[in-house]
Order: sequence, then C-alpha cells, then structure tokens
Amino acid sequence: MLGFVARRLGFAVASVAAVVLITFVLVHAAPGAPMLGSPERTLASPETIARQRALFGLDRPLPEQLLRYAANLARGQLGESFVLHRPVADVLAEALPNTLLLGGVALVASLLLGLVVGATQAARHRSRTDTALGVATLVLYSVPVFWLGLVLLLVFGERLHWLPVSGMTSAGIHDSLSAAGRALDVARHLVLPAASLALVQAAAFARFQRSALVDTLGAAHIRSARAKGLPERAVILRHALRGALAPTITLAGLSVPYFLSGSVLVESIFGWPGLGRVAYDAIFARDYNVITAVALVAGVLVALGNLLADVAVAVADPRVRLSG
Amino acid sequence: MRIGALLAAAALLAGCARGPSASAAGGTLVIATTGDADVLLPPVTSLETGINVSDLLFCRLAELKPGLNTVDDSGFRPVLARSWDHPDSLTIVFHLDPRARWQDGFPVTAADVAFTFRTYVDSAVNAPLAPFLAPIASVAARDSLTVAFRFRRWYPEQLYDATYHMRILPRHLLDTIPAARLATSAFARAPVGDGPYRFTSWRAGAEIAIAADTGWFLGRPGLDRLIWRVTPELPSAVSQLLAGEADAMEVIPSRGQLERVQQSRDVRLVPYPSPFYAGVVFNLRRAPFADRDVRRAIAMAVDRQTVVRSVFGPFADVAVGAVSPMQAVWSDSIRQLPFDTVAAARLLDGRGWRRAAGGLRARDGTPLRFTLLVPTSSQARQQAAVILQDELRRLGVDVRIQPVEFTVMERRTTTGDFDAAFVSRTTDPSPASLLQWWSPGAGANIGGYADPVFESLTAAALRARTRAEAAPRWRSALERLNDEAPAVFLFSPRNEAAVSTRVTGVTIRPDAWLATVAEWRVREPQRAASDRGAARP
Repeated sequence: MLGFVARRLGFAVASVAAVVLITFVLVHAAPGAPMLGSPERTLASPETIARQRALFGLDRPLPEQLLRYAANLARGQLGESFVLHRPVADVLAEALPNTLLLGGVALVASLLLGLVVGATQAARHRSRTDTALGVATLVLYSVPVFWLGLVLLLVFGERLHWLPVSGMTSAGIHDSLSAAGRALDVARHLVLPAASLALVQAAAFARFQRSALVDTLGAAHIRSARAKGLPERAVILRHALRGALAPTITLAGLSVPYFLSGSVLVESIFGWPGLGRVAYDAIFARDYNVITAVALVAGVLVALGNLLADVAVAVADPRVRLSG
Repeated sequence: MRIGALLAAAALLAGCARGPSASAAGGTLVIATTGDADVLLPPVTSLETGINVSDLLFCRLAELKPGLNTVDDSGFRPVLARSWDHPDSLTIVFHLDPRARWQDGFPVTAADVAFTFRTYVDSAVNAPLAPFLAPIASVAARDSLTVAFRFRRWYPEQLYDATYHMRILPRHLLDTIPAARLATSAFARAPVGDGPYRFTSWRAGAEIAIAADTGWFLGRPGLDRLIWRVTPELPSAVSQLLAGEADAMEVIPSRGQLERVQQSRDVRLVPYPSPFYAGVVFNLRRAPFADRDVRRAIAMAVDRQTVVRSVFGPFADVAVGAVSPMQAVWSDSIRQLPFDTVAAARLLDGRGWRRAAGGLRARDGTPLRFTLLVPTSSQARQQAAVILQDELRRLGVDVRIQPVEFTVMERRTTTGDFDAAFVSRTTDPSPASLLQWWSPGAGANIGGYADPVFESLTAAALRARTRAEAAPRWRSALERLNDEAPAVFLFSPRNEAAVSTRVTGVTIRPDAWLATVAEWRVREPQRAASDRGAARP
C-alpha cells in the first residue's frame, strides 16, 4: 500500500509541476497585460505602469521570470498579487477553505444522491421508475451548471425568497448570531450553490451507478445470495452495491476538476468567496502570480482526488489489489 | 482673497441643518457591488469598491459642492480645512479645523497634510493620481493647524488640484512604514481614518463593513453601518436587490437589468449625470485616418441617435463630444457634425475613395477598410459596433469588428496596434481631464491626435478665472475636436443607481455616488434584522 501511495505521489508531484510550468508560460504568452491601471480611467500614467511592471519583474525576459518564480516556489513563496497588493498565499488561504466547503458538500451530496437514484433505478430495472429517473438524470446531466445556478437563484432566491441569493453569510446579522445560528446561516447560503454543482454531477453518478449495479445484479454471487433467500434489499445493499461502487468512486475522484471548474462559475453567480472567484478575477486582470498559484492548488487537489479515489476503490472492492 | 470664515460658517450651518435627529439616525445600508476592493489606502486604491469605501474613511481638505465647479473657490465647501486663503498667486494656505480627529483620538494636523503630499508624489508609492499633483511644488506645515501649498505656476484650478486628488493620511501611523510597502501594509486593509465612518471588517471577496463615527466633528452620519456585498455577476447582484438582501447599487449598467429593476416595487432607480462617454477612436498614425475628411465622413455617416436608441433605449444619450454629462461644461448645444450621408459620400468622393464592385469604396486599388477593436466585456459596445458596421457599409466603408478581451484592447491601444477602437472614458469633474486623452504626448491619447488650434483653445480655457469665463472656452475646444473628428463620439450612458424604497434622503453627487450618504436614512418602520444588528456595541 505504501509503495503504491509513494509511486502515485511521485506522479502527482510531476503532474503538478507540469501544470505550473504550462500555466506560467501560457498566461505570460496570452495577449493582454496585467491591468496595473484603472480600466479605462487612464489615471495611471504610462510611467506609473512601467514602474509597477518593473517592481513585479515583468520587464525581465520570460525565462528569467520563470526561474525566479521556480526559486521562490521552492522556498514556499507564491509571490504577491498585482491587483490586491497581498501575498498570494494569503489570498488563497482565505479562499480555499470556502471552495473546499462548497466543493466538499457538493461532492458528498452528489454522491449520495447519485447512489440512491442509481440504486433505485437498478433495483427497478426496466420499470417506469427506471425510465423516468433515466430521463431526469439525462436532462440534468445536459444542463450547463451556470444556467442551473441562475434558475435556482431566480426561483428559490429572488421569487420565493426561500434561500439567500448571494454570499456566504447574511449581511449585518451574521456576527450577532450564536455559533449554531452562524453555522445555520452559512448552511442556508450554501444550499443553492452546492445544489447547482451537485445536481449535475449527481446525474452522472446515478447513470454510472445504475449501469454498474445492473451488471453486478446479474453476477453469480448475487444469484447465490438470492438463492440463500436473502431479502432483495439486503442483496442490493450488502452484496451488489459494494462491488458496484468502484466505477462511481473512480468517477468521484475524476470529478474533482469538475467541481473546481464549476466553482469558477457557481462562485461568481452566488458571490461565494472561494478559489473560483479568485481565479475568475485574476484571469481578467492578468494577475499572473494568482493565476499560476490557483493552477498549482487545483493541480494538487486533482492529484489528491485521484489518489484518494484509487485508495477508496481498493478499500471498497477487495478484488482490487494496489500493486500497479 | 479670504473667504474662509464665510465658507466655514456656511458649512457648519449646513452640517447642522443636515445632521440627523437622534430618532432618525440608524440603520444599515447594504450595497451590492460586482467587485471587491484592492486596498483601503487612498493613494494606491484603484478599484471602484476600494475607492468608494476609503472615500468614507478619509477626508479631503475641502469637498466639491454638487455643482462640480472646479474653477473657482465658490465651488468648494470646507471639510478638514475650515478655511483657506491665497496670500499670493502661487500659494494657498489652509487652516485646519481643530476639532478634526483621527479615529484613534489623535488630532489631524498640518504635518499629516504635508506627509500626505509627500506620500502621494513618492515614486515608490506609485500613486495613480500623482501626475495630477505635478503643479504643486511643495506642501509645508506652518504650525500644527496651518499648511501652505506652493504651486509652480498660477492657474485657476489650484484649489481643485490641492484638495480633490488627495485624502489626508495619518502620519503618526504611517511614517514608519517604507513607502514601497504601504500598499501591502496591515493599515491598507484595516485603516484608521478621519471620516464620517470607521473601518469595521473586511472578508476578502465577500464583504466590507464600516460603521458610523458617532462623534465625527462635522456631525453624526445618518446610517449606522454600510456593508458592501461582493457579487461578481451583474444579474446576481441585481437579484440581491430584488430579493431584498441589498439596498443599493451604484449603477445598473445594462438595459436588461434596468428593466428588471423598473418592474420592482421595492427598488427604485435614481438617475444622475454620468461621468462616461464612449466612442470610436481612430488611430491617426494609420491610413486612412490621417485624412481629416475621411474621419469627418465616417462621423457624419453614423446615425448616432439610432445607435443609442437601438442599444440602450431610453437609458443613454448621444455624446455631444469628448465631455461627460457630469462635467459642468457639458451642454447639448455644443456644435457637432451632422448626420448627413450625402455630404459624407461627397467628402469621400472628393478624396478619391470611389465605390467599386460590391459597393465598397477603394482608392488606387486599396479598399476603404478598417478593423474596429471592441471589448468583449461590453455587450453594449458590441451591439453598437454591429449597427455602426452596417451604417458604414452603406457609405462604402468596410468595417471588420474584432472583439477582444479588455486587457488585450488596453495593450493594443496603448501600443498603437489598432486601426480604430471602441473605447469608454471616465472623466473627472474638471474639464481639463480632456487633455489626458486629446493633447499631444498624453499617455492616453491613443489615436495620436495633435492639433495646434485645439491646443491654443484649451490653453485659453485653462487660464479662465471663473466658471462663466471658462465654459465658452472649453466649448470652443470641444467643438474644434468635433470638427476634427479624431473619434466618433457615440454615447453617454445614463447613470441609474438602484436604491431600496426603504432608504430616504437619497441624493447623488455624480463623481462620487456616496458623497452625500451621511444624509441618507433608512425609514424606521422598515428597518430589518440587519438594521437592528447595528445596535450592538
């Protein structure tokens, strides 16, 4: 197990290094330049902008900038944001937990929902319920996440006033609430953005889970379990589901990029102060240090997601051995 | 000239008259904004939300009155300076209000003012507004409450430059911080000011809160708290308003969103003059725009009224020139080139641009064609560009629209890598801001416009001693610019703030929409949980 994890970690480090290198080169090669003056106000003189470029080393050749960046990164320094005048590490440290909360809740919710729907479909294979849920998951899977987010916001936030439309806390009252009240307040704000992310991915999980369970339910050991007279519920939950979990767990690991990319849109729509928002703003402002650092963090999260999925598959399915 | 005593008395009376009664004061104003602040330190703050917040934390020596008259002293009211005088043509002496205090209890002194000037002009600070302070040679404290500004030359807007571009900083808290590190200092994210509001909290990317300084020397502000909520997507920000989660937005910049707000019973639109104008700027270093007649022909072939109505409906006006409706010199009677397609065609014929196969014009085998850069961030400009393309095709001009990301457009226009660009300009109250974009050598004169006649007209306008004297001179300069057509000045969007109906007393100064927020109120019967939260110590 340890050897397997070490090998995977090695691959992960190499992948993340490649992501950082590619991102660094691409953002510098992209047309445009860091917005060091106010947009269209032209308050910053060309001299001021030139001084700022020099301050951040942007007047140096690209290979030199890359070497400096790599050297700083090796020392654990991510540089300073051109726009926010803050260490990039501080910017990420504030935003990352919010994204992990949103992405984590969305991932767990989508997994649970996907498993339940997939298992229900498999248990009622070729029934009307199976067909209806199949259509529903197909439609949900086809929906762009930003569109779903806007619809949820309009219906449940603006029209029905059931849930807050924006932010992570209620303006003006959050700090005056008890600890439980503050947690509930955050939870209420979490519902719509998490649902936007989770519903689409739950559809994917459900379709995978249904397919895997239908295959498993036809296997010899399931027939054997049924022949022993076990109730169908026990057959599915104790015997079939565990073996059929592997593809869904793998998909969960692979879905980390979905939650990260989806968070860029969802966090912007719902004013959720996370990594996606930071990335969104940084890309438009050409805030190179922030963009590269976000790519670094995203790379690490994706690599970790895959690693955890591999381990989880082995735990869930005893037939898998961690040798390769 | 000594006007200080009168001005001070007037301001005090006005301040008292405006001061809220104890029962009316209170409430929280939640402001929806699409962008977070960068820092809250006036010399280096450049993002809109940062400017709006720090404007309420830090005071100027004097403030412009609502008429935005930048030319003579009567356009200003005292704030930190209770009076000022002009002992000679190159000096303004300010007498500080002894009641003014930093929020940590220290008095605001002349040394703070001198320190502030040194900070703004320090190249290590890189203050974007530093170029506007170039005419000031020195700022020196004469005693703890008297400070003298010495100018390099005489001009009528000395008081404007001395007061408008700087918000006074606390020397005792900042002078130990190296200038180059001011922007990244802890103070820049949790400042101590001298304004009507004090900093409370900042959750990056989410929320900034400030609270009333109930002991502010010019009177208690009407609202207990202001909270900015960051929601990057405009439709979501508007939804916050419509859902009652926010009370106000500085401006609703899109026709579709304006129409959503119009349908609400709980939110109203508050129009105020816009500091913007937008248009197509030609690169005069490139053919065919070096030719004045070609530029004029293109300008005359565009039915700007149709463009504006099609794109904005009732929410914008045709631009009268390189001036925004906010500026005091704006007038709809400024002479402009007429919409006259026949005359436009005649001008092009006269310059040898004849119609060829397909109806497009060419001269010596070269088609009359140009590429128009349009920022992808502006849906309005993209729509207007398509209409303009169609209108110019009828004249025989082939316009190729190239949508580009905003930073790309900035890069290409500032390096001269463009034929024409659909730009927007944000003016400040002074008509002299015209020179930033249209005088030779100015960094933002992207088209390379240079015209000795225009230069002499603006020079004459800059020498005017009063607003009445200045207005016709600026008008002549603007009309000359229209005649020369270095750009097609297309539209000025009407600024429409959105404010909840529970907020009363709302007036807006066009250059700083929250400048009068100390006079806004939340109706007591309509105060909500967020307003009650403000009552906590």
